[in-house]
Amino acid sequence: MMKYQSFIGLEVHIHLLTKSKAFCSCRAAFGDEPNSNVCPVCMGYPGVLPALNGEAMRMGAVVARALNCTLSPKTWFERKQYFYPDMPKNYQISQFASPLGVDGWVDIPAGGGGPASSAAGTATKRIRIKECHLEEDAGKMIHAGNVSLVDYNRAGTSLLEIVTEPDFETGAEAECYVQQLRRTVRYLGVCDGNMEEGSLRCDANVSVNLRGQGLGSKVEIKNLNSSRFVRLGLDYEIERQVALVEKGGMVRQETRLWNENRDQTETMRVKESSNDYRFFPEPDLPPFSADAGFISSVEAGLVELPFDRERRVGSEFGLSREQVTIVCEERAFADYFEAAVAEAERLGMDKKVAAERVAIWMTGELKRVMNRDGLGAADVGALKVTGARLAAIVALVASGRISGKIARQLFDAALVEEAEPADIVAARGWELVVDPARIAAAVEEAIAAEPSAFSGAAAATAGGDVGKARTLSAFLVGKAIGASGGKAEPGLVKAAVEARVTAAATAL
Amino acid sequence: MSRTVLQDGFSAYLDAWEARIGSFLEKDAETIAGSAVLGADREPGYASDSTKGVLRGLPFGVKDNIAVKDMRLSCGSRLLDGFRSPYSATAVARLAAVGAMPAGKTNMDEFGMGSSTDNSAFMRTNNPWDVERVAGGSSGGSAAAVAAGLVPFALGSDTGGSVRQPANFCGVVGLKPTYGAVSRFGLVAYASSLETIGVLADSVARARTVFAAMRGADPLDQTSFDAPADAPSLLPLGGKPAEPRAIGVLSPSAVAKALASTLSGQAGPAGNGGPDEAAREASAAAMLEPEVALGFEAAKEGLRALGHRLVDVELPSLKYGVPAYYTIATAEASANLARFDGIRYGNRPAYAENPDGLIDGARGSGFGDEVKLRILLGTFVLRSGFQDRYYLRAQRIRTGIRLDFNRVLAGVDAVLMPVFPTRAFGRGERGLSPFAQKAADLFTCCANLAGLPALAFPTGVEGGLPVGVQLVGKAFGEGLLLDVAEGYEAAHPIARPAGYRAFWG
Ligand SMILES: [Zn+2]
Repeated sequence: MMKYQSFIGLEVHIHLLTKSKAFCSCRAAFGDEPNSNVCPVCMGYPGVLPALNGEAMRMGAVVARALNCTLSPKTWFERKQYFYPDMPKNYQISQFASPLGVDGWVDIPAGGGGPASSAAGTATKRIRIKECHLEEDAGKMIHAGNVSLVDYNRAGTSLLEIVTEPDFETGAEAECYVQQLRRTVRYLGVCDGNMEEGSLRCDANVSVNLRGQGLGSKVEIKNLNSSRFVRLGLDYEIERQVALVEKGGMVRQETRLWNENRDQTETMRVKESSNDYRFFPEPDLPPFSADAGFISSVEAGLVELPFDRERRVGSEFGLSREQVTIVCEERAFADYFEAAVAEAERLGMDKKVAAERVAIWMTGELKRVMNRDGLGAADVGALKVTGARLAAIVALVASGRISGKIARQLFDAALVEEAEPADIVAARGWELVVDPARIAAAVEEAIAAEPSAFSGAAAATAGGDVGKARTLSAFLVGKAIGASGGKAEPGLVKAAVEARVTAAATAL
Repeated sequence: MSRTVLQDGFSAYLDAWEARIGSFLEKDAETIAGSAVLGADREPGYASDSTKGVLRGLPFGVKDNIAVKDMRLSCGSRLLDGFRSPYSATAVARLAAVGAMPAGKTNMDEFGMGSSTDNSAFMRTNNPWDVERVAGGSSGGSAAAVAAGLVPFALGSDTGGSVRQPANFCGVVGLKPTYGAVSRFGLVAYASSLETIGVLADSVARARTVFAAMRGADPLDQTSFDAPADAPSLLPLGGKPAEPRAIGVLSPSAVAKALASTLSGQAGPAGNGGPDEAAREASAAAMLEPEVALGFEAAKEGLRALGHRLVDVELPSLKYGVPAYYTIATAEASANLARFDGIRYGNRPAYAENPDGLIDGARGSGFGDEVKLRILLGTFVLRSGFQDRYYLRAQRIRTGIRLDFNRVLAGVDAVLMPVFPTRAFGRGERGLSPFAQKAADLFTCCANLAGLPALAFPTGVEGGLPVGVQLVGKAFGEGLLLDVAEGYEAAHPIARPAGYRAFWG
């Protein structure tokens, strides 16, 4: 057992995907012209009042429930007071005494190790979620030369802060949690999880101490804006603190920034005294009581979460772990998979076979095309090849109506044409020839063109030279398919060639 | 204001009065003529409605802390001098929707902090009855303008008595509605949980019409509500006598008793500036001036003569009202006024080294002393670790006062109280110290703490100055208070200051 124990708590802020801001009707959008999505309310003009966006409450509650939190039957907002130029009112409307949800938990794979290992069957570690609370974001201050500019487009947008207990011990565990949380909120459709753009932001507090001695003195780390930086930053910080203590030093209580260029944390500010935010209840907003309608809208938003879905998809469809991980990466992708399998079943395919074929398409050709076109797994709905259409392609192959080679052509056509695969096949005349007369004609044409191969095959068959007979027959099959313009169904052609060869051998 | 009125010499009348009393910070002939199209974007069609509706053609004054699109919104503060509102308050838009026209912005104590309007950064407003005296505050400009007949009514805001006290000083009707009955959207916040937009009017009937037009739930103010279906009606009496009511009387002797118990309840060390001293001073400040006491007794007689049944009541928690009020009001103010940092709007220093320097400069030079004092007080009472001693304790007192009123109002229809211990006071030596002015909020601030409606109305003239009383009612019981006061007014017409001419019919 290691001499030191480390304690990491995470505070993750997620931007909720509400159409309008938390307390006004301005568009909540990013990347627009600075100060274009603002109004007197989110600019903190004199005389305006906040009006709570119920959708922000609902989305926040959905996340809280997904993280196994208990929803507070009655919640209210407080004003958190401090002066900062990007905060229009110089107080933030936040929740202090009555968070939306409290006392939740999530399980992560013990020791971390990335999401792939977190499917069924791995040992897990439970992370306690202290609370989820709703608040408004601030604007953005930009320093340019000797002037400071402020963009208030982000001011007043809805943020959900998710606070864990200090239950992580390593950067890998924290990284895994962040990735898992990111997938969860994307599955729930309440946050796009984009860490680079700041839609999901992570701050951490870290302390180390001799094992069994409880929490050490706490250091806050900011600017961990990718899940990798979460791992690197925290591991660096734990090492730094352990080294300090080993040398007989003391860890200073401070806020540090992760410097991604130097791969280290650096002092941002030393806390001399804790900030006094002078919280008090926001008098402009009445307390919010969750009524039955609200509760049911929250429950309705609780979709199957990533790991539950991985577990189910794995066992229900018999996919490999690798396939499960790719198929379930995004909710839209998994939905696509299940829709395709259901449609293939409806078209008469066996479920497991259908699942296997669909998974092969999705993890191979579909993924390749989407990567090529810069689409993420969540964008699968944008494709003209819907799940049902992919199922139709798979079923056409399974029923022998098209060849595997044609299937690829068909898929490419279906990507650009707004048409059903069966119609494309019919229009292009891609369907395999199965008519016995046409097969026979193609075989006869091949025999006529390659008489020596045919007689050689017959002789080999008669003489018991199985290998030679097979080679020559296969040659004739290829020729016959060629004679059919590539459309003759290979199995039928093979049977017809073999029948002719056997007949000729018998006559010898 | 119709052009006919202007032709009848109203302009000269307006200018002459304004030169004496200084009630408006801004009045625009174009605006008065009704050409402004405020808030049209939010309430489609209301501009075209200005020729119709129950308040058609009537101009009104708007306290300078209530937003009217494209008009100033200075709140009587240097910091917001020159700031023009990009939007209109819901109350203003609703009045415009029934034909009324905002005629200008009236003077006030800076951000509503004061009882005289002398705390305005811009100018003094004098009392139309005696220009050596104050108009009261903080809605002093609105009260003076109505009292002088410059407008038939004006909007004010009442946080601890800021509508009723100046109405009382100037001899007009002042209605502080139930908390939430009128949208606060567009009222620059001083103490959000206490204040409401109120009406100052030249008659009870007018106050009723104005209130009826602007009340009701507003999606832009989630603390606003519609009156419950069983609330007293707001239909005009139409000359009929008011229904006889049971009116609880909080008599001056009961108040004296309450204050005496404050004194005995003080355990602090005696001596100059100690709590005992302060309590004694507060008690003295709350004692009714003889003329006010006389007026109060006359009003009781008048009400009795109209068939109302008067019963003595007691409000034991009244004595805690002022400290609780100032604790809560300053706490909320410290946060509400934080937005005035000179960054997005308002005045600021020409140059600052950094954002902090800009904020400090803007607030240091923009706010007056009384505002700074209250921000400091509010910041003090909200410190972490001290909230239990101050802010939360004040909230418990507030609950006690609300329960006290509920108990009393379970037995009577309304409570009759003085408005202010004195009539309009003078300035300098003849004035009231800032401390005494605060202590004197005793009778008005409790209705704000309890969120109840209160109606101040003039009952007569004593020693050349108007005196009056107030009725405090049940939540959403404005109709009942207005009925009683309208009946009183029918029997005792409101006295007007010398030089008053009735233009508004
Ligand atoms: Zn806005």
